[in-house]
Amino acid sequence: MKFVMLLRKEARESAPWILLSVIVLLAIGGLLLRQEARYGQDNWRYSQLSPGQTVSPYMLTRESVLTGPGALLFTVSIGLGLILGIRHFWIPHFTRTWSFLLHRSVSRMSILASKLTAAAIGLVVFLGAVWIALYWYACREDLFAFPPSAKVFVNGWVFIALGLIAYLGTALSGLSRARWYTTKIFGLAFATLVLFVTITQSRVSSALLITLAGIVILLVQIIETFLKRQY
Amino acid sequence: MSRHPNSRKKKTMNETVLETHNLTRYYGSAAAVDHLNLKVPRGCICGFIGRNGAGKTTAIKLMLGLLEPTAGSSSLLGCDSAALTPAIRQRIGYVTEGHRLFRWMTISELENFQAAFFPRQWDRKLFAEMIEYFELAKKRKIKHLSNGQRAQVSLALALAPKPELLIMDDPTLGLDAAIRRQFLEGMIELIMRQGRTVLFSSHILADVERVADRIAVIDKGRLRASCSLEEFRSAVRKVVFTFADSPPAQVDIDGLLHCRRSDKQLELTLVGADDFEVAAWAEAVNALEHHTAKMNLEDQFIEFTAPANRRKLFQWEET
Repeated sequence: MKFVMLLRKEARESAPWILLSVIVLLAIGGLLLRQEARYGQDNWRYSQLSPGQTVSPYMLTRESVLTGPGALLFTVSIGLGLILGIRHFWIPHFTRTWSFLLHRSVSRMSILASKLTAAAIGLVVFLGAVWIALYWYACREDLFAFPPSAKVFVNGWVFIALGLIAYLGTALSGLSRARWYTTKIFGLAFATLVLFVTITQSRVSSALLITLAGIVILLVQIIETFLKRQY
Repeated sequence: MSRHPNSRKKKTMNETVLETHNLTRYYGSAAAVDHLNLKVPRGCICGFIGRNGAGKTTAIKLMLGLLEPTAGSSSLLGCDSAALTPAIRQRIGYVTEGHRLFRWMTISELENFQAAFFPRQWDRKLFAEMIEYFELAKKRKIKHLSNGQRAQVSLALALAPKPELLIMDDPTLGLDAAIRRQFLEGMIELIMRQGRTVLFSSHILADVERVADRIAVIDKGRLRASCSLEEFRSAVRKVVFTFADSPPAQVDIDGLLHCRRSDKQLELTLVGADDFEVAAWAEAVNALEHHTAKMNLEDQFIEFTAPANRRKLFQWEET
């Protein structure tokens, strides 16, 4: 009950940003796909081929219809991660509500877990659901000749995981009591590093692995810092 | 470890619910709290007084385990502050400085949030009574409340779970006189009804005088006094000596805090000096007469905590 109440509080504070992200991703992502289905120059169907026309190699190597929505997911995910990190770990410092929050009849770990869970729900569940919906739409054979590959789908999850990296990096920087130009920026710097290393990977599996390793490293640091931090 | 509520009846008033041992906290090279040794017995209302920046908030945060001490230790309800368990926290109410609450919540939402952490203790009737007493609407959001109204909500939130120990950090800071009185009356009413222990920091001495039966004076991080209010009131006093000629150059009397001179008068602020000592000194320096000047708690506090360089300034003014 206590954890649920903490989670509700964190979820309520995150809700406007999560909703906004979902709406932006769904609306613009959906619109991009719709446009692609209707007017996409590269989107061709067998039925539309004129008699005698052959399929050129260019047609087969065209980009996935999810390229645009994927880029949007990447941006929204990173943005939402940053905003939630600020909302959960920076704002309480500015509004001086840490003392009120921490004097609860729960362990500090529960308080931290409620924040992390709220962020994970926002990023993984909500953005993930939109991504699944977009992927499902892109797989409709009546609209698109070639469905996007599974690799494109997994790429989306890597982008969502990068959103988590952005969240955790912001959280770690927010928790640090060092000066902004010293170790305080470690969290954000590390998150940026993970982001660059991940997007330069040619294999999805290695990108996913690097992202997961980054999440684990940041999580360990955050737990350590949060439990020992003085408010 | 949690105690059964009924076990309280067996406890004597001498039981200490809050204790610090050489509690010290440094910020860089500056000591915010310096070897603080404080004991607060059960069932009292202790005013924790000190000037701005004296170390009250830091000391309270150290006691609640929100800050880590540089040295020393403290305990609340027998539990080390550094390892306060959820069960112990459930028995402690805390009103934060500035009444910082979640601004987006309504009073009602905040009540539900707070009540979840006191599942068996939360008194909805008491909370409703207090909110009604303060003439607040439960549907109002915290961000739409004034400073005073936020203070009232804070008090109701802290009192509704009927904590054994209530710690309030400058609860009347920034409130006007009417709201302050209402706030204090609300506090007194509850404490009289429930017989709880309260530690509240303040630099508004009139508030302390009104509700406290015990005071702890902190100055530059050091505990200067910890006693009953009556003891402090009788210990710090101003005695005016009148002389036929100019007063003596040297003043050598135990417990001297301040010395002010005029042509034929010497005004001494003393701590802990009894009537006999004062009379003996008056006789020794051939004073024509002496009398004790009236001081309120604020005067006593200011004299008691006036910095050392102030005294030098007075001497310098004489020359």
